[in-house]
Amino acid sequence: MSDQDNKAVDRAEISGMLAKKAPEMKHILNYCLHCSLCAESCFLYMSHDGDPEYMPSYKVINSLGKLYKKKGNVDREFLEGIKGMVWNNCVLCHRCYCPIGIDIPRMIDFTRSICRSQGVFPELDEGESWL
Amino acid sequence: MDIYGLVRGPLVWVSLIVFVLGMVYQAQQFLSSTRVREVVLPPAALLGGGDFPRPLSLADISNSFFGIHPVITVVTTIFHVFLIMLPIFVLGHNVLFEESFGFSLFVFPEMVADVLTLVVIAGGFFFILRRLLVRRVRAITTFYDYFIVAVVVAPFVTGYIATHQLLNYETFLIFHILLGELMLIVIPFTKLKHGLLFFLYRYQMNYEHCLGAGSRVWSYNQAK
Ligand code: HEM
Ligand code: SF4
Ligand code: SF4
Repeated sequence: MSDQDNKAVDRAEISGMLAKKAPEMKHILNYCLHCSLCAESCFLYMSHDGDPEYMPSYKVINSLGKLYKKKGNVDREFLEGIKGMVWNNCVLCHRCYCPIGIDIPRMIDFTRSICRSQGVFPELDEGESWL
Repeated sequence: MDIYGLVRGPLVWVSLIVFVLGMVYQAQQFLSSTRVREVVLPPAALLGGGDFPRPLSLADISNSFFGIHPVITVVTTIFHVFLIMLPIFVLGHNVLFEESFGFSLFVFPEMVADVLTLVVIAGGFFFILRRLLVRRVRAITTFYDYFIVAVVVAPFVTGYIATHQLLNYETFLIFHILLGELMLIVIPFTKLKHGLLFFLYRYQMNYEHCLGAGSRVWSYNQAK
């Protein structure tokens, strides 16, 4: 356990980061058709027996999408909740294929930056589940 | 002015103006988060070989959306083609074009128009069923997604009812026009904007799945 674990998150910082990228990120979140056609292009989805939680759009909608819905008003528990989704369930391999050209890893990457700014990222000693 | 005059006159213009300005705004959002690439490599160069386009192989087809999801690919293609063609070539609309602008286009025979309408409506049902029944689609579906399908299909349902006078003609004609106007207004501000943005993202952005010139990349000048 590091000191970070109990520290309150800096909501102003999160909102600031979200606001700076809003014209681009909200535009794309609103563009997604929720059609699920990107699913099979993600090897993690394929290697988890089609578990919807590994579908590229699912990962973005439930991390960055929620951050924008809540306008950055989130607590550490929320960030810990999406930590696995953005650090573990996606490896930013850029293999996902969306018919309308949505760049999923770019959005996951941005979500990681937000998490990192609040000290939410996997530690090296978190064990095999991360390595 | 009576209700018919209102929905048929000023409201048409209001919805068209909102539609056009909204689409211009969305295109501007795209342009402002991307920039022109200094050195434009054709997508072939990204793929590593100079032999692009190469002849299609069976693997290309089985790895395409058609190969992975043949049913949805065929249904959505037919749905889209009919959805876009029908309003342009249906008799009633061309009578209005003639009255307003003094020209009209090729017109579908009524039988054909009927079939296309029913196919579009069936396509809408297909999308709704898919959202209800397929696990991965259900996982990312909210009320909003059903609303969008309804907004798109409603003008076709009311148009069909009005044309065949299945229920009160005048009432359903007004519903039909109002719902068509609602769709125009909703398109630029929802995922329906994909009708325009598809061409910007898939043809302008320089990446592996680029279909066109690929002259743009994300601009990184907005600091994190
Ligand atoms: C002309 C260019 C267009 C392209 C390339 C395009 C492409 C697509 C793609 C790839 C999908 C996802 C596959 C699916 O779920 O069916 C889709 C879905 C859809 N599109 Fe389009 N589209 C276009 C225009 C339009 C227009 C003009 C409308 C209507 C105003 C429209 C309405 C819809 C609807 C209702 C869906 C289904 C969404 C759902 O599953 O809930 N599209 N389109
Ligand atoms: S990211 Fe693309 S393929 Fe995936 S659900 Fe959204 S629109 Fe469909
Ligand atoms: S970038 Fe992430 S979501 Fe896309 S294919 Fe790779 S692991 Fe899957």
